[in-house]
Amino acid sequence: MRRLLGVVLVLAMCFALVLTGCAQTKPENTPAADASASESVQPSEAATESAAATESTGSESFTIAVVPKLVGITYFEAARAGVEQAGKDLGVNAVFTGPSEADAAEQVQMIQDLISQGVNAIAVSANDAASLTPVLTQAHDAGILVMDWDSPAERSVVDLSIKEIDYKTYAESTWDELVKAMGTDEGDYAILTSTLTAESCNEWIKFGLDYAKEKYPKLNLVTDPVTTNENVQEAYTKTLDLITTYPKLKGIIGFSSPAPIGAGQAVSEQSKQDTISVVGSALPNDAKTYVHEGAIDAVLLWEPAKLGYLTVYLADYMLKGNEVKDGDMEVPNVGTISISGKEVIMGPPTVFTKDNIDNFDF
Amino acid sequence: MKRIFKKKEMGLVILALLLMTVITSVNGSFLSPMNIINILKGNVILAIVSVGMMVVMITGGIDVSVAGIIAATTLVIGNFMVSVTGNPILAYILGIMTGTVLGLLNGLLVAFIQIPPIVATLGTYSVMSGMMLYLTKGAYINNIPQEFIDFGKTTFLNILPDGDGGVIGLPIQLAFLALTIVITWYIMKYTRTGRGIFAIGGNTISAQRIGYNVNRILVFVYGYMGFICGLAAVTHVSIMRQVDPNAFNGYEMKVIAAVILGGVNVMGGEGSILGTLLGVLLFAVINNGLTLMQVSTYWQKIILGAIMVFSICFVVIQKRRASKKHAKVDIA
Amino acid sequence: MKKHAKEWTLFGVLIVVIIVLSLLPPYKFMTATNIKAMVFQLPEFGLFTLAMMVVILTGGINLSVVTTGTVGGIVSATVLSSMYENGADVTVSIITAILILLAVSVLCGILNGYVVSYIGAAAMMATLGTSTLYEGVGLLISKGNSVSGLPKEFFWFGNGTVLGIPVPMIIFVVMAVVTYLLLERTAWGHSIYMVGSNQKASEFSGINVRKVTMWVYIYSAFLGGIAMIIMMSRYNSARVDYGSSYLMQTVAASVLGGAAITGGYGKVGGVITAVAILQCLSSGLNIFGLETSLSRVITGALLIGVLLINFLTTRYGKPGMSFKTKALESRK
Repeated sequence: MRRLLGVVLVLAMCFALVLTGCAQTKPENTPAADASASESVQPSEAATESAAATESTGSESFTIAVVPKLVGITYFEAARAGVEQAGKDLGVNAVFTGPSEADAAEQVQMIQDLISQGVNAIAVSANDAASLTPVLTQAHDAGILVMDWDSPAERSVVDLSIKEIDYKTYAESTWDELVKAMGTDEGDYAILTSTLTAESCNEWIKFGLDYAKEKYPKLNLVTDPVTTNENVQEAYTKTLDLITTYPKLKGIIGFSSPAPIGAGQAVSEQSKQDTISVVGSALPNDAKTYVHEGAIDAVLLWEPAKLGYLTVYLADYMLKGNEVKDGDMEVPNVGTISISGKEVIMGPPTVFTKDNIDNFDF
Repeated sequence: MKRIFKKKEMGLVILALLLMTVITSVNGSFLSPMNIINILKGNVILAIVSVGMMVVMITGGIDVSVAGIIAATTLVIGNFMVSVTGNPILAYILGIMTGTVLGLLNGLLVAFIQIPPIVATLGTYSVMSGMMLYLTKGAYINNIPQEFIDFGKTTFLNILPDGDGGVIGLPIQLAFLALTIVITWYIMKYTRTGRGIFAIGGNTISAQRIGYNVNRILVFVYGYMGFICGLAAVTHVSIMRQVDPNAFNGYEMKVIAAVILGGVNVMGGEGSILGTLLGVLLFAVINNGLTLMQVSTYWQKIILGAIMVFSICFVVIQKRRASKKHAKVDIA
Repeated sequence: MKKHAKEWTLFGVLIVVIIVLSLLPPYKFMTATNIKAMVFQLPEFGLFTLAMMVVILTGGINLSVVTTGTVGGIVSATVLSSMYENGADVTVSIITAILILLAVSVLCGILNGYVVSYIGAAAMMATLGTSTLYEGVGLLISKGNSVSGLPKEFFWFGNGTVLGIPVPMIIFVVMAVVTYLLLERTAWGHSIYMVGSNQKASEFSGINVRKVTMWVYIYSAFLGGIAMIIMMSRYNSARVDYGSSYLMQTVAASVLGGAAITGGYGKVGGVITAVAILQCLSSGLNIFGLETSLSRVITGALLIGVLLINFLTTRYGKPGMSFKTKALESRK
């Protein structure tokens, strides 16, 4: 009996192996033209072909998959709203799905399953750019339009890269706001970040530190950026530790939406609203109470819903065979975006403070 | 006096004292009242849940769904408080009921369906956390009524100096920890159920043959764990003043680590509240102390791991030495 | 037939799951693309599960099964990327990297084995501690970053095919067969089952329990290392948190596959079937487009459900036994 079970299992596995061996997956394709600085972007021919093929059969609309770093935090859930709205407005099947934690490996697997599902486009916010390269290449070879949004993947494997803001501007504005809130350009400060491999946060930190070296040389960063893994609780405990370890701490910059919230909680609990300034990227709704209390001084963000909407819009645009050209472009419900080569920038950040934060609801 | 030194927990006490000395010598603010209160407040939830976990582990089982039970309870009371009232008493009652019900579910699976505890609680955890994620999409609950927030800020014994010239006291949450300790201690020491718990941990079949109703006790144990989780959940919200569905991801590992540090025998049958509390203390001191010593975050995990392995070995070797002195009649 | 009721039930469940998933829109489950994707994804999880299973057979648990792999991976990737950068010959650097990875993993396994078998600490405690330690070492070396810069040739292990069969699957099948042979056809394998059934009796029968257990932990770490090779190749980098979500799943898969958590029973075939079920579920539900959160609910419910079925069939499948005796029997 045991033998029989063993034999059956082995046979089943062989069957699976043979099936994969016979897999006739890939249609012929040419990789997307490498974008040099001022070339317009062509969607890969295969993507247009498969999209055109679907169009000519007339029955299905595009399926555009938008993959966040993780689901279940307010920032990405706000983006989800934008994605779903765009799906309705444009008549496409917009799918928003992501891993339950900011786990690069889980993200890779989900994308693989999306490839199996046969979507037309995949837009991903990368937890870890390097880990995505093999699977995104696979997607490309399968004729799927590959984009990144919110957190970039490796440049060479994507057709389009959507950034919510210009990283340099954002970083500089953040540091400016910090100094404004601190009331002085001299003193100790610390940085909270997401994971050490989150591209966007890393870029902001890099630009910010370079900027600070020039403009605010008397600002003193007390320790390496502290990771909070997109977790409010961690931001809270680590801020508490920072406050205890560096009693002269005057400012905290929090990158990635949960970080400023956790920092604000800690500052509020320790009643240090007047001595420590917290500045960062969080959603106005999450930060409202703390901003009014003074625990968080300023929040700089874009609208994640708009970002989601833009991602779907541009995916649909390219799937229809249009070229995305350099320069400015009007996008309904989003505004004017600027494009340069493969990169799209949505717009400047909004600063939310006590005065205007109640006007927003996301 | 010598008997006190022989006790297993002594090793832990020595270790803790050693660590605290090292830390204080590097950063004096470790022993400041402010910092101590921070450590207490930051770990009171861990302590409460660990006591409950200890009871479970004494039966030889384990509950990895605690994170789910606590998170689910925080959601229930959060929504309740926002829409109905911020009365702490009602919140606690509701929270405890929610936790207990979820815990009883675990108990039923372990006792009557005889699913191994680690698997049963893993299953329920998946179901619970999945449902919660689906229902809340990670949104926080922010507008906790002021009444509850004020309750959370109450302190007692306001006599300690806080370094700025004022006085601070012990946060009220510690009172709940004390409550948990007293209830658990009473159950374990003075009730038949308590003795049954130890018996089951030692040898389930023998316990059954002696006459303990194993099923009933197991259901009670997991239900009690749920009760404690509910209590901890409400207490947590009183500290954080906000409900974050993701706050407890991975918490079960911390609890288990603390309980193990405290010397509970994972095979069951042994464990003490004092040991568990010392385990939590050790865990807290390590975490907080390392940061204060400005030890790079990268070294912290290694040191934590090394201390864990070392203390485990230490406790085991100590136990073996102690048992060598007994005459043994081995039927096993 | 009755003797392997568990494994046959499991196989039946697998068939049912596959059929149900194939019938779900968008009907892409049984496509070549998806089968290929699953066949690529399954091996790493499968190897970790085998690594966990062998330890469970001895009545223990190996919470460090993933971290022994990741720390080896980080060391290996660091070496590989720097060798590659400095222009060393690709084949040589890859071979060196693989050897280093396996060596580091085995080293971790030796430490695990030492603490569990020679010092005598409980497996859960010991491996929780060592797991934290390994994670810390990996964190220190990688500074929380992912280590990349691996040569393109390394892609082959995780992404290549031989005669149309994905390389990782070949590796997995080979290791599964090797594990099967070791467990069923060698004296060591038989000793493992005996130690898991009753450690004391095995000792008195002349089995060197310590040596047997030590080798189990070494083998477990070895399998973890191989899983890491595949992961490193598939994800083009090594990172401390790769595979962390696998840990609890491997326990679930082992128990689902019929291994007794207290040790002494478990079949490679059953475990592989369980791994296949979980993999199909994961991919199938993703393709169906089910929300991640609900997938968790379904996986948890399925786990409990299968064990429930197991319970009912074994309970009521044995004629001629009184209820109480049956209860005692199945309690062991």
